[in-house]
Amino acid sequence: MPKILIANRGEIAIRIMQACKELGLDYIAVYTKEDEASLHVRRAIEERGKESVFRISSYLDPNEFLEVADYTKCDAIHPGYGFLTENYRFARRLAIRKRPLIFIGPRWEVLREFGSKINTKCIAKRLGIPVVPGSDKPIYNEIEAENIALELFHRQWEEGIKRPAILVKASMGSGGMGIEEVTHPIELRRVYRRLRQYVKRQFGDEDVLLERKFPVFNHIEVQLVCSQHGEAVHFGTRNCTIQSVFRQKRIEVAPAFNHNYKYQFDPEEVTKRAIQYSLKMADYVGYDSVGTWEWIVTPEGQLYLLEVNPRIQVESGVSGSITKIRHLPVGVDLVKEQIRIALGEKLGYKQKHISFHGASIEFRLVAEDTKCGFKPWGGTITKFQLPKYDWLKVYTHVPSDRPYSIPSDYDPNLALAIVWGRDIEEAKERGEKFLNEIKIEGKNQEASIVTNIEFLKEKLKKIQMFE
Amino acid sequence: MENIGEIIKKYKANPFEVYPVLTPHTGYVHLMVKLGQTVKRPIDPWQQKGGTLLYTILRQGNLKRIYAPIDGEIMDIKRELDEQFVEANTYLMSIRHPLTEDEIIDKILSDFLDIFRAPEAAKYYFVPELAKKIEERGLQKVIIQPGEEILIMSRMKRDIHLVYEGKPGIIHTVYFRPNVTIPEGEPLLGICPPERVSFINDLVQRIRLEWKV
Repeated sequence: MPKILIANRGEIAIRIMQACKELGLDYIAVYTKEDEASLHVRRAIEERGKESVFRISSYLDPNEFLEVADYTKCDAIHPGYGFLTENYRFARRLAIRKRPLIFIGPRWEVLREFGSKINTKCIAKRLGIPVVPGSDKPIYNEIEAENIALELFHRQWEEGIKRPAILVKASMGSGGMGIEEVTHPIELRRVYRRLRQYVKRQFGDEDVLLERKFPVFNHIEVQLVCSQHGEAVHFGTRNCTIQSVFRQKRIEVAPAFNHNYKYQFDPEEVTKRAIQYSLKMADYVGYDSVGTWEWIVTPEGQLYLLEVNPRIQVESGVSGSITKIRHLPVGVDLVKEQIRIALGEKLGYKQKHISFHGASIEFRLVAEDTKCGFKPWGGTITKFQLPKYDWLKVYTHVPSDRPYSIPSDYDPNLALAIVWGRDIEEAKERGEKFLNEIKIEGKNQEASIVTNIEFLKEKLKKIQMFE
Repeated sequence: MENIGEIIKKYKANPFEVYPVLTPHTGYVHLMVKLGQTVKRPIDPWQQKGGTLLYTILRQGNLKRIYAPIDGEIMDIKRELDEQFVEANTYLMSIRHPLTEDEIIDKILSDFLDIFRAPEAAKYYFVPELAKKIEERGLQKVIIQPGEEILIMSRMKRDIHLVYEGKPGIIHTVYFRPNVTIPEGEPLLGICPPERVSFINDLVQRIRLEWKV
């Protein structure tokens, strides 16, 4: 029975544990000192015993995972999302070491292409796939950055856009980290300098790129599942437009478009095009895992590739929950599919065996002050009760039977909830019911807990729309 | 300044601090000291030469030598962990450290300086412009002004630039280390207004004199 080292924390660690359990695989969990009270630690101890849980210094230190993997004789490492997930050097190291370990994700060569936004854009351009206008190679100094920024501003002024803006992005960034908006060329140098310094500390890489910011758009995603045997299928689309000011997703919806709305474009045609382009890129690089292709859609229906996430995503569950394979019940666990693929299994189904049923909405419950720039809230949660329904799946690392202090080193995420409905209207009704029934209390030295529940309720009315 | 004598008396009664020694990461440890042994911290700027080797830790073929971070005497050593695989942050031993005159001065001064405290539990760094000034001129030669960005608070993956809002002053003491999470309310900087520099210097002189008595 292969043994998996789960190189991540919180909710995704719990999802991986669940997938391992259902696949009959053994696992080892890790945690940092700050995460001692997390439910992922408790679950691992309850399921596998104390000897299956190890305290490490950081989730960003590859040597920690390798040392624990060797000590416990693991066969594979699941990186989850974030941290080392898109680090091709880590994946390559696993493959070429004396005692090789399976990296549960794409081959390192693929990661090298898609782990960097700059490389991804180059591949897309080569294949004639539209990308967000902006830089597509490393920028070496502030003067060069300023020239590119001026060009992007001029184009928007020529188009008559009243409040043009550009985004300065970390090439290696993900999860909304390392993105800053610039609304006037004069701000560029300061933002460029600050962002480079930030991304160097967070990702160990200073490459940044500049892109045009669209004032109104929808952010859609295509979920692909590809095996090591050349099979490739899609699991439909998601709409992830509802985000925080830091561009972290807060509500995700599957499918991406509501066919009852009147768009200025044909949503079926745009969806088809996004899927075709995604499969074309996957085929070009020989993609061999689960992955997400992210797209910007303008109100006129223009499609631009934003980036590729060569990993499982927070929101993969929302696609899985509306998917049916052959005669099996609705609901596919993409974490399980990812592990099966990495262990060399064939998919066992083709595109024609996949169908989509109903609609699904995912909410990210976060301790943050949405009225104060999404300021993260830190403190102790004293009461945490979430409702239970057969149409609701909740993943959380926050215990409900004892106080829990939110660690200051990570995002203050509290739970991930996926609501399913026979159609989008039913999913929205159920989503509102879920949000209304959450009971949460907490405090720090200054005030009571603040969460994004009201923000989620308000934005739920606007999902899949252009605003 | 009247109660200085009392404060010094308190420190003289128990001029020690106990430093726990924890493993920095996972690996196999090999203990190199014994209970009761006197240890010395390295004396060179690179923290390598002259110090007492406390233990080695082997991880992925890399042997790391861990020297005493401070002078003192070993107490409560976990001999059962010798040659064993350990997790990160595993307690190995404690060092009983006799406080030096300068350390006593730093501790006492914290009551007399304007303390800039950590607004939230986070990691803190100087903003690059200020770090550069400190590197060029030295710590106690840089005056910070109200409205000036002085620190970066890195918390929950976000960087927040902290603006200094007190009176103009020199940074007398830095209490934080980069890359280490500082709990909320802990001191980060000890700031001294320029007009109080002579008072602080007098205070330091007085502590030195009384400490020797």
